[in-house]
Amino acid sequence: MSHHTINLTINGMPQTVTVEGNETLLEVLREKVDQTDVKYGCGTGECGACTVLVEDNKPINSCLTLAATMDGRSITTVAGLAKGHDLHPVQQAFVEDFAVQCGYCTPGMVLKSVALLSENPEPSEEEIRHYLEGNICRCTGYTKIVTAVQNASKNMVQYAGGDAA
Amino acid sequence: MSTRVLTKFDLQVPKDIPEALDVLDNYKDTITPVAGGSDMMVAWKLGLESGNAMSVTALPGLDYLTYDDNEGLRIGALATIDQLLKSDIVKEKYPALWEAAEVFATHQIKNTATLVGNCLRASPAGDGSAAAYALGATLTFVSKEGERQEHIDNLFTGYAQTSRKPNELATEITIPAPKAGSKSAFWRVTRVNEDLAKLNVAAYLEMDGDTCTEARLVMGCVGPTLLRLPKCEALLKGSKVDEATLEAVANTVNDEITPIDDKRSTAEYRRSVAPVFLKRTILKALS
Repeated sequence: MSHHTINLTINGMPQTVTVEGNETLLEVLREKVDQTDVKYGCGTGECGACTVLVEDNKPINSCLTLAATMDGRSITTVAGLAKGHDLHPVQQAFVEDFAVQCGYCTPGMVLKSVALLSENPEPSEEEIRHYLEGNICRCTGYTKIVTAVQNASKNMVQYAGGDAA
Repeated sequence: MSTRVLTKFDLQVPKDIPEALDVLDNYKDTITPVAGGSDMMVAWKLGLESGNAMSVTALPGLDYLTYDDNEGLRIGALATIDQLLKSDIVKEKYPALWEAAEVFATHQIKNTATLVGNCLRASPAGDGSAAAYALGATLTFVSKEGERQEHIDNLFTGYAQTSRKPNELATEITIPAPKAGSKSAFWRVTRVNEDLAKLNVAAYLEMDGDTCTEARLVMGCVGPTLLRLPKCEALLKGSKVDEATLEAVANTVNDEITPIDDKRSTAEYRRSVAPVFLKRTILKALS
């Protein structure tokens, strides 16, 4: 067995962890640094529940990532989106539009939506549905999720445009 | 076997190529080099693969994507599918590759998976690898004995088997600059978008007016490896690509494929749609 000591920045906080060679990023986040907002779903990269953002809002499947290969990387989980008590606009929209049923897919859905809006601030409905393909909601609450992303997009574009009126 | 916890193995994360070659020499054939690892991780979890892992993610300078008219497209072993998708050069000059990148798995996987890794997994259902095969790519392998080039025509030796030797590290895949009048396209059919293909097709054609002067046709999910379709290619070469030629090609493809029943489709279905999708892919390339 190989042990690896790695430095990660998790939600802005630098952390040093010792991991086994065969440990996934998902296991390390949940079991070594108590980041249980990252969910285990299928374990094979199909459901997106384990999605985290790396560096500049790049979504990856933490279940398919060996933790030891992430030395020096910066990781954002859903718990890292809010600023104090102010939710991220995507989180706020998910709340306001009731885009949550059982909630298990929600951390991945929110992070993936943040990634989408950072790449494409005003996506069409088709683009939203295409981008969210790697995230599965088994309550099948997709309609409200899409609405929430559309509303988050409107709010973020308005805010970024400095439209205070 | 579990999709939550990986079986125990050694992971090596070399910091440069000489160190990586030492690792490969030391472990002989008990270690697999992985880049994004999106497919190998699943294979390990499901018990389809065993042995140790060497991550190449810390090797410097392998995430490049460059193009010039002499060298063509050079894709480093750590360049991701997402990088291909965001490249205007790929979109403009290598439509088959860009279209394969667009439908390749999910955005999470596009951000980690690489074209080199996709080719070396040698899946008969590979999308990126099907496009690279039709476009006539070449892989570069480095070992302590030196560097060698392997044309993709000689890469796939069996189901999930390649001609890479255990001491070799793949560092690059190159695709020749497209010739004047060349066209390409990719097509696949799936149950839902993020699934692996039930059947896929990549086509590369060189055209002189309406006449095809060179053709490379690749079909996936219809044999133990991705398959070239030499009889269909021969029908196209030197012919005007009209309805009669396309009909002849469509009528020939079933002589060249050996599909089986599996969880994604039946052999019967694949045999029924193969002629149609081949024809459509050729027309898509020409449009």
